Amino acid sequence: MLIAARNLTKFFELRGGLTGKGAVQAVSDVDVEVREGEIVGVVGESGSGKSTLGRLLLGLIAPTSGEVLFDIPEELLQKYDEARSANDKKTMEEIASKYSITRKSGRELRALRRRMNMMFQDPYSSLNPRWRVEDIIMEPMVSTGYLTGNEARKRVRELLEEVGLPREFAYRYPHELSGGQRQRVALARSISTLPSFLVLDEPTSALDVSAQAQILQLLKRIRERFRIGLLLITHNIAVVSYMSDRIYVMYAGKVVEGGPKTSIISKPQHPYTVALISAVPGNSRGPRVILRGEPPNLVDPPKGCHFHPRCPMVMDNCGWTAKEVAEELEFLLRGRYYGMLKEGSKVVPQGELEILVEGAKAEEVRKVIEEEKEEVKSLRSIYEVREGNGGALVKLMRYDIPGMYRTDEGREVSCLIYRKT
Amino acid sequence: METQKTEYEADRFREIKTSLSVFFSNKGAVVGLVIVLVYVVDALLVQFFPQALGLKHPYTLVSNYVNPVPQPPSASYPFGTTFPGVDLFTSILKAVRVDLGYSLFVVLLGAFIGTVLGVISAFAGGIVDEFVMRITDIFFSIPYLVLALAIGFVLGRTLDNMALALAIVWWPIYARYARGQALSIKEMTFVEAARASGSGGGKIMFRHILPNVLPPIFVQISLDLGTVVLVFSVLAFIGFIPNANVPELGYLASLGLNYVATAPWTVLFPGAAITLFALAVNLVGDGLRDVLDPRRRS
Repeated sequence: MLIAARNLTKFFELRGGLTGKGAVQAVSDVDVEVREGEIVGVVGESGSGKSTLGRLLLGLIAPTSGEVLFDIPEELLQKYDEARSANDKKTMEEIASKYSITRKSGRELRALRRRMNMMFQDPYSSLNPRWRVEDIIMEPMVSTGYLTGNEARKRVRELLEEVGLPREFAYRYPHELSGGQRQRVALARSISTLPSFLVLDEPTSALDVSAQAQILQLLKRIRERFRIGLLLITHNIAVVSYMSDRIYVMYAGKVVEGGPKTSIISKPQHPYTVALISAVPGNSRGPRVILRGEPPNLVDPPKGCHFHPRCPMVMDNCGWTAKEVAEELEFLLRGRYYGMLKEGSKVVPQGELEILVEGAKAEEVRKVIEEEKEEVKSLRSIYEVREGNGGALVKLMRYDIPGMYRTDEGREVSCLIYRKT
Repeated sequence: METQKTEYEADRFREIKTSLSVFFSNKGAVVGLVIVLVYVVDALLVQFFPQALGLKHPYTLVSNYVNPVPQPPSASYPFGTTFPGVDLFTSILKAVRVDLGYSLFVVLLGAFIGTVLGVISAFAGGIVDEFVMRITDIFFSIPYLVLALAIGFVLGRTLDNMALALAIVWWPIYARYARGQALSIKEMTFVEAARASGSGGGKIMFRHILPNVLPPIFVQISLDLGTVVLVFSVLAFIGFIPNANVPELGYLASLGLNYVATAPWTVLFPGAAITLFALAVNLVGDGLRDVLDPRRRS
């Protein structure tokens, strides 16, 4: 296995503020894998943690927890996974200490830089405007000691030809090049040390359509020639379906679904993936699913499945908490069922799974819930309403946190619908 | 291999040629450069071949107590004379060397200290950044002239110490400029790309960030060269720097002060020499910015 992430988590601490500290949970508990010479696509909307994941895999930012195992033999990875499900910390530690890039010293990491690199989205800011193309492409070679001096210069000429640029471009400055040409230079830089793993962070998003196609074809050719494992981060389903062998779909910092490209595109399983694929223009497969609401605030993400507040197929145990249900219940009681809530009384969440409806009768509240269950999905998580101290006490069922469930060949879905009981 | 090297050198040459053509296409900069060159040549001549300008005492002012009252410009005294019978033309020629030297010393020292501290503080962040920036705040909270006077007073009121005092009050502005610039450049993707390529902190700081920080610094240097000549002259003019007949433009302007109503040239000519230099240096700075910015080259 070229690279495998296990339980990878990154929280960005928020500094200061009146409300005290918190953390943006950009990536939480993610497993991904890239094999040698494989193109793996990561799709998801803005802010779903795709780019953070790419940077974590390269060790450009340090994870809050979790491991990135680089170049680990298949058997050892299997052993690690077995140890993980058996909660055998010792074996896990033993393997991680040897293969995890988060454990490497600065010097070892620098040596690893020769074997992995990254290509960025914006070709205008990813090249130093004061450096010539030659120096830009040479940088990884010189910094990692791969090649230096005239040998490196010679190699720059070869690389330029490899990415379809004339040799004379070595003397140009980035501002003399077009977006597509710059992106070719960026590609030449990232492959200059013949790495085995490359992260492409939205490599074509800043380009016009014809340049996109050229860069994608070039990437495919380069991958075949040098057998580089690629992690392609993008929000563009078309790009992913053209390029990748396998796909991971991310939502709100979690991988919700992963598997072979064709099977995910033709038969998406996670409700979020279904909505995502149905939103591709020109898609004739089934009706378009329109999601309500917005992606969650990652400082305080939803409990259980991060997608549950927007999920069209949400169930009673998907992660509803007293806060969410109380909000919707209060909305109903102040609106459609006006008068049930007395002047000055409130709907108060008590802890995570209990709500007190002040001054209301259990019987009436139960009736409202029964009536609205079909429409307001969060009410499905209520399993008991009884008289409590000064009102009706509403009890919610405990939610489950979805794991990754194996469905078809090579497919994994993080949704309770697919949990085998 | 050999051909590649010559190819490389030919390219270097081509680059210098573009730089020059960019600079010379800016007319103001050319005029400025000519004036600055005249000053520089004058300073160098006075330093090394004073006899070429016909100066017998290049490092002191020559008084004439036989006729101390300022004389108007005439054939023998092109700029007239000032009290006490000092020939203004030759004195200005001598004074340029002194002012130029001190101004260069102050600005370059200030810019060097400030830029290095600014870039380091932006790059290190945290406590280092906080510390350096609070120090610059202290410097900025006191008017620089007052601060320079205070430091000069502590160091001892001589020309050299005064230059040192000015350098001490002059670095914070460079530290702020460099830091601000470095902070924005630090966040650009090419810095992250460099890290992904295995470049270490030192290389990123000095090869990636510093070159992108320098252009505004150069512009500031060119502006300051003129300003420091002004400030220096002001200090000499108000008599803060005790002067033992050292030809210095500000001191020169102050000599004829009692006669300014009847002999305005005593102040006018040294003052014009100061202003002209400040202006010329600004023009050159403008042209220099064009050369340094690759985006303006095409």
